[in-house]
Amino acid sequence: MDKNQYIKTEVLRYLGYKNQDIDDNTHSLIDGSIEEIKDLSEERYTYRFFDILDTAENVQLKDSNLKLPGHDIAKHLEKSNKCVLLAVSLGHRVDTRIRYYEKTSMTKALIMDACATAAIEDACDRICKKIENELVEGNDILTSRFSPGYGDLPLEIQKDFLTTLDAKKSIGLSASASSILIPRKSVTAIVGIVKKDEQIEKRSCESCSKYLDCSYRKGGLSCGH
Amino acid sequence: MDIRKKLRDGLLIFDGAMGTMLQNSGLKLGELPEILNITSPETIVGIHSKYIDAGADVIITNTFGANEIKMSSSSYSVENIIESAVRNAKKAAMGKDVGIALDIGPIGELMEPMGTLSFETAYEIFKRQVIQGVKSGVDVILIETMTDLYEVKAAVLAAKENSNLPVFCTMSYEENGRTFTGCNIVSMVMVLQGLGVDALGVNCSLGPKELEPLIYEILNISKLPVMVQPNAGIPTIVNGRTTYNISPSDFAEYSSRFAERGVRILGGCCGTTDKHIEALVKAVDNRKPANWQHINLSGVCTPTRTVVIDGVKIIGERINPTGKKRFQEALRKQDIDFVLREAIGQVDAGADILDVNVGLPDIDEVKIMTKVIKEVQSIMDVPLQIDSTDPKVIESGLRIYNGKAIVNSVNGEDRILESILPIVKKYGAAVVGLTLDERGIPETAIERFSIAEKIVRRAIEFGIAREDIYIDCLTLTAAAQQKEVRETLKTISLVKERLDVKTVLGVSNVSFGLPNRELINNTFLAAAIYAGLDLPIINPMNEAMMETIRASRVLWNEDKGGVDYIKSFENNKTELIVPDKKTESEDLFKIINNGIKEEAKAATIKLLSQKEPLQIVNEYIIPALDLVGERYEKGYIFLPQLIRAAETVNSSFEIIKERLSAEACADISKGKIILATVKGDIHDIGKNIVKVLLENYNYEVLDLGRDIPKEIIIEEALKNDVKLIGLSALMTTTVKSMEDIIFALKETNKDFRVMVGGAVLNEEYAKMIKADYYAKDAKDAVSIARIVLG
Repeated sequence: MDKNQYIKTEVLRYLGYKNQDIDDNTHSLIDGSIEEIKDLSEERYTYRFFDILDTAENVQLKDSNLKLPGHDIAKHLEKSNKCVLLAVSLGHRVDTRIRYYEKTSMTKALIMDACATAAIEDACDRICKKIENELVEGNDILTSRFSPGYGDLPLEIQKDFLTTLDAKKSIGLSASASSILIPRKSVTAIVGIVKKDEQIEKRSCESCSKYLDCSYRKGGLSCGH
Repeated sequence: MDIRKKLRDGLLIFDGAMGTMLQNSGLKLGELPEILNITSPETIVGIHSKYIDAGADVIITNTFGANEIKMSSSSYSVENIIESAVRNAKKAAMGKDVGIALDIGPIGELMEPMGTLSFETAYEIFKRQVIQGVKSGVDVILIETMTDLYEVKAAVLAAKENSNLPVFCTMSYEENGRTFTGCNIVSMVMVLQGLGVDALGVNCSLGPKELEPLIYEILNISKLPVMVQPNAGIPTIVNGRTTYNISPSDFAEYSSRFAERGVRILGGCCGTTDKHIEALVKAVDNRKPANWQHINLSGVCTPTRTVVIDGVKIIGERINPTGKKRFQEALRKQDIDFVLREAIGQVDAGADILDVNVGLPDIDEVKIMTKVIKEVQSIMDVPLQIDSTDPKVIESGLRIYNGKAIVNSVNGEDRILESILPIVKKYGAAVVGLTLDERGIPETAIERFSIAEKIVRRAIEFGIAREDIYIDCLTLTAAAQQKEVRETLKTISLVKERLDVKTVLGVSNVSFGLPNRELINNTFLAAAIYAGLDLPIINPMNEAMMETIRASRVLWNEDKGGVDYIKSFENNKTELIVPDKKTESEDLFKIINNGIKEEAKAATIKLLSQKEPLQIVNEYIIPALDLVGERYEKGYIFLPQLIRAAETVNSSFEIIKERLSAEACADISKGKIILATVKGDIHDIGKNIVKVLLENYNYEVLDLGRDIPKEIIIEEALKNDVKLIGLSALMTTTVKSMEDIIFALKETNKDFRVMVGGAVLNEEYAKMIKADYYAKDAKDAVSIARIVLG
């Protein structure tokens, strides 16, 4: 599948598409929005490697004050002794334009929102690939991304996470009082580094924060993450 | 130290980085450096001393993040930290002629509309820092590393309203000349100059090499002394550590060049050390401050858009309720979306600036003015002109406006000049002066000119720059005062020639009472531009007027090569939605089903010539909606298609409502519903989708917005006698707010019904927090509304 087709499939998934007939208007709206998000994105990212000190209770990182509480992150990193903290953002212009469309056309706003979500995920994939290629040990690969708010890793660590990466200064990313990332289309994640031959556990639906409500799971499907 | 005097006499050298020096002495990532003021004062004093020994004139306190939000995770108060920090600086400076700057960095949370922090809260946060800084005895307030001009405004107002100290202010740019939030150089200079800081400039983010072009851009337009604190190059991460690669001697060479070009205040930011400052001091030793040549820009701005008035610029007049019933109704119902659509339409049509007038006798003008300004600025970056005669409205508007605005207006009356000009000055706005006074509008040009002269004189006395004064020579109606029409044009010429200020004019009154008004308007507009009009206030949707302006720009050599003029004839308007196929019968039923919003208006207008509004609703709209809803539920169409059909219905309703409001017919509303995304949450796309659908079924939705505290929800529910309240939350953490609101609503003992929705909720969870209904999607919300309100 080529890149654009892949992104479009993702966009449709976020829009709750389940094989309905799509009329030409909707197709052209989605195609146009994917391009528009590309133009608006001001992709910025920062990351840093850390040695993991202890995965018994709270995960602790060397030379940092950040604590990563919970069983799930410990499990996620159990085979790693190094990890990457990553922060990625599409910038404010995307947010502003989506707010604008919410006043002129909710249809467009909804589609733009889905396209932006697809774009930030795509950016994360690309950046992780790049980091992976840079790993000194050729035998090392990255685990999947684990973000604050997943499983029992509290969303409230968001601010400390950003401070650790100095993300406000380096990429303009901050969190609101209730730990929402701003700009909205941003991702923070912890990625473990493991040996290629180590089994990487696929993240299960049970550890997802959307477990109860997920319409894919209810329908016997998976969101793909 | 008398910083202001020192700045007049020579260069001022600030110190270099604090953070870098602290990291070199073992600060961990994520640790709050400000706490070291208390836990390790000797480290801080040591760093200050090194900078003093290197020759810095001013040292910066270790208080970059000493605000209540960042300090909340520590056991120290803002006051504690600042007091200790200043004490440390004073200890290092003891017995030496060294000034102390109170460092104020960004709060760390973003302000509305990007984030959730309100302007007022930001102001209060900065105020606490300023008050303690003054109390502890600093010499200057340094607001730095800012990326959001709105936050800068809150900080500068807090500094100026709570101290008499000099205020220096620098922002951080990327190489493209924008901050992370998109603020450009010209807007920064316009706004900071207007707010009356003592020095402005750039710091951090880039090294001196990358900052160089930005610095020259600032020098070219700044009347105020310019300050520069670059990083020691662009940071790179080597072995997990941030490193910078500009050597002290290179750094000094750049700094010395900046001084030659006119920069008055120099220092360093991230990556610089006492070695850099030492080299810098040597390089500029005993140098006389250089003067810099700058131009006086006339213009207004928002952070991301600057409108320089170097030719004819268009002010859109349509945000004004005068004589417009539908607009008045929208203001009374606080239907801000209606106002926003007027704003969007005008900007799309080519308006450069929008006039905002919300004056109605029976509304709270302060509240509506601030609300409209905030809402417009949350989606667009067009500069605004605040149109009111009430100083309270003007001040409230200017205070929360993000950028540099125009005030419309003052006139020659002393009472008015004295009450409004100080506000214009304080907030750094431009001002429109009408050539009338207590005696009315003078008949002759020379009399009107003398009022203009007085306004300009008084404005300058109040400290307003000449380039920020715009004179309105007032249009009279040709049908009533024919011979005075020419006097207006003559006044414009006089004002331009003798006062050298910009002119503004509302044009369309001239044709009142005459047939073919457009012809009269256009002829007058062309003549006014010829006489020297800079800022016509017009309806930009009027294509003929826009054509006249485009043509004039060619004839006046403003539109070089006629590029814009020629472009306006190219038919390059691509419609967002291309209709699948032209609906043959233009049947509203089909149009809704196919979701062709663009055709709904015309079809409705046509139908209205044959049928009553209510007939249209019952025979076309409701059946179409039912069919679309059914198709969605059965899985034939998906969400974007449902919403598009819903929006098509709403365009049709807009026409029906206009008709109803013109005929003063009974409302077709089936009842009011409040919708809000709860406190702490700002995900509101879901809520807005629910709104669109509810409106389809003629429920009147009071959309309170996002991040809404329970007090406001209860107040609005009681005030508007609302029965159904819809709450949205998307995060597990904000469901708690939902529960609180439901509890508080039940406590009022009114018969409120609450429906809840959002990704984290389900039936069971909704019951647990005592909601009356759980809406699984927007369609479901409509079913609930039908149960509760019928």
